[in-house]
Amino acid sequence: MIYGVEQEQDWNSLSDDAFRHIVRADFEEHYPRSLRFPPSRLRWNQNRDWYRRMAAKGWIAPAWPREYGGMGLAPSKLLIFLEEQEHCGIVRFQDHGVLMVGPVLMRHGNEAQRQRYFQGILSCDEIWCQGYSEPNAGSDLASLRTRAELVSGPDGEEFVINGQKIWTTFAHDATHMFALVRTDPDAKAQEGISFVLLDMKSPGVTVRPIRDISGHEEFCEVFLDDVRTPAYNLVGKLNGGWTVAKSLLGFERIHIGSPKLPEHGLHVLMRIARARGLHRDAVFCDKLAALQLDVAHLGEMYAHFAAIVARGDPLGQDVSLLKIWATETFQRIADLIVEAAGPYGAMRGVSDIGGVPVNVLANFYKARPATIYAGSNEIQRNILAKHVLGLPGH
Amino acid sequence: MSDEILTLLTDAAAAFAKPDAVRVRRLRAADPGFDRTTWRAMADQGWLSVTTPEECDGLGLGLRAAVVIAERLGFALHTEPFVPAGVMATQCVAGCALAGGAGTDSARQLLTTLLSGEAIGVLAWQDQAGQLAPGWRSVSASQCGPGGLGGQGIVLDGTCHFVPVAQADVFIVAAQCAGVPGLYRVAPDAPGVTCTPHPVADGTSMATLHLRGVFVPAADCLASGASAAQLLQGAIDSAMVAVSAELTGVMERSLEMTLDYLRTRKQFGRAIGSFQSLQHRAVDLWTQLQLTRAAVAGAVRVLDDPASDERARRLAASGAKARAAHAALLLTTQAVQLHGAIGFTDEYDLGLYLNRALVLSAWLGNAAEQRRRYGELADPFGTAEAQDAPETTLPSGGEAARVAVAQAAAHSTTQVPA
Repeated sequence: MIYGVEQEQDWNSLSDDAFRHIVRADFEEHYPRSLRFPPSRLRWNQNRDWYRRMAAKGWIAPAWPREYGGMGLAPSKLLIFLEEQEHCGIVRFQDHGVLMVGPVLMRHGNEAQRQRYFQGILSCDEIWCQGYSEPNAGSDLASLRTRAELVSGPDGEEFVINGQKIWTTFAHDATHMFALVRTDPDAKAQEGISFVLLDMKSPGVTVRPIRDISGHEEFCEVFLDDVRTPAYNLVGKLNGGWTVAKSLLGFERIHIGSPKLPEHGLHVLMRIARARGLHRDAVFCDKLAALQLDVAHLGEMYAHFAAIVARGDPLGQDVSLLKIWATETFQRIADLIVEAAGPYGAMRGVSDIGGVPVNVLANFYKARPATIYAGSNEIQRNILAKHVLGLPGH
Repeated sequence: MSDEILTLLTDAAAAFAKPDAVRVRRLRAADPGFDRTTWRAMADQGWLSVTTPEECDGLGLGLRAAVVIAERLGFALHTEPFVPAGVMATQCVAGCALAGGAGTDSARQLLTTLLSGEAIGVLAWQDQAGQLAPGWRSVSASQCGPGGLGGQGIVLDGTCHFVPVAQADVFIVAAQCAGVPGLYRVAPDAPGVTCTPHPVADGTSMATLHLRGVFVPAADCLASGASAAQLLQGAIDSAMVAVSAELTGVMERSLEMTLDYLRTRKQFGRAIGSFQSLQHRAVDLWTQLQLTRAAVAGAVRVLDDPASDERARRLAASGAKARAAHAALLLTTQAVQLHGAIGFTDEYDLGLYLNRALVLSAWLGNAAEQRRRYGELADPFGTAEAQDAPETTLPSGGEAARVAVAQAAAHSTTQVPA
């Protein structure tokens, strides 16, 4: 079974320099100037042309093994690939399929599911969203109430799903959803949950975008009324969804712990500081150095956890620390950007600060939800207090 | 160095240095505030030789090994001057011995007595309080000829500040002779030497070293010129990292005591550690400890890599010390708060850790001073100007790590049968 596009060549056999040259030349020539370094994430209709092209080239899943249709890049090559993407200001797309569904199906799915879904992910014909949070199940995710009942349908067994998901990022761009649903209402909270896949075009699915405080519409409410999905869309065991989701959570936490956003924020901060003459202000310079160190030490800590993942060892609960530190460091940077901007601190869009174009509020808004989603930082602290520090329960 | 040696060293250090508050209280009341018998035992363990290269009869294990020992000494609150004498001075003198200058023989002979624990040597280099780089100005050296005090040699005049270990057996003094920096070996009992100790919070002392016409034979000029400057700077950087590791140990034990207290102290009918506000504060303190560990580990990698340039070394050392000094004072003062009134009593051991944290944080640059040094070295505005694309040139393990994550996520899945 060939899942994606045949690779042009064995990338790992090239020298690093040769590979970098190929990737950079391609990005520089083809990635539209107008899309570089956007202040917020773009909708799929803006991303689509570029990522369809990447899919057609077989470059959509650089980290996936070749046997599954990825580029199968070795670490040094993958580093170059990501560096060049960042260098060129290429924006992240609606990538839940590549980042989450793929890995989860490789680990917990069956061959039929991989055959059904990998081609859609790799061609970007199918775009995925994550149906976890509910109006009354945010930090307390295990209390989710969206019900799925297994019934006999005309084409075999199927789940009938009823409930509501919320804060679903780019649900309005998605063709499919992976969701946590309650399949055993009598079991203890985490034990009656299953991980299922569904088609967003199914009758009974209603998507309503939610406007956020920055004026963007990235997340949505999703209403599920008698939505039917075939039983073969169950991933892992029935009532075993929590285990499947948890294996993704560690992955998500370490991704959120990446120093990339804080590093970018620091750069914006320095541009503003220079434009406003703050690089001669000792108070500002002290704050800046503290943040530079916060980011540098985040990088060291991230490397520590990444090494554990790279060895194939499971991440401990202590990985929560990474999410807390990365997101709060990013917030401190974003807040100092607004402070450093002074009277420009409330300007919408791109401001001209002494001839330097800067979007002052982009990082500020981007930093707000980071401490809330993927388990709020307060929940992460609860986890650490209980499981790592061994402090007593309430 | 293999990880096994490191593990052995960790175990040996843990067996050797155990927290013993009775010992700490006895020593803080005594002069010199540490125990010379323990110092010689540390020498017998080979600890004073870990960073010294094998060609100088050392173990050549690098800073990696030194931080393991320093961390444990911090944990056990051993005030023996491992970092200033066992890392900083030995590294500098070993460098002098290898530099091949006129002072090679003296440096070799001195190194032997330092490594054996027979003599405690420290560097005297601070022109003024709060200096983080040698200024080479406070002590001037003038040549004197054969007709002088004791033959061919140098006469030193000046003052050095914040010299660790007032009771040291030998001082390695940074001085400038006709514009050329040099490192001079000075005995505390040489005519013209006055060493004034100033007691510090943990019962040890810092000294001001006055030199009035102190004659140093030419053979005791251990190094001069660029190599002297480089050796002193290198020793300072290593000491910053090693003392950060020692602070890690201080923090670890303080946090351990605090967590024990939170688990067992009951108020309102329940363990106070069940209160969420205290839990979250404990997590934030633990986070600072983890950050310090990461910063020290990163700095050790940079300093132990011969390919690292000087700027990278100084950035890493400053970063580690800035983090450790900030984290240690935060953690130990908060530990007192979380304990309540008992934490403020002299009878309770926590205060011993707070006092040690004060001393080690203040030595070689506190958090604010190190941030300033880091900021000057990083020079973000110099580099930001030259760049258009939003990327940072600051060192970070981030990129490589991101790759490892992405890679591992893909790879770990391939082991699962279809």
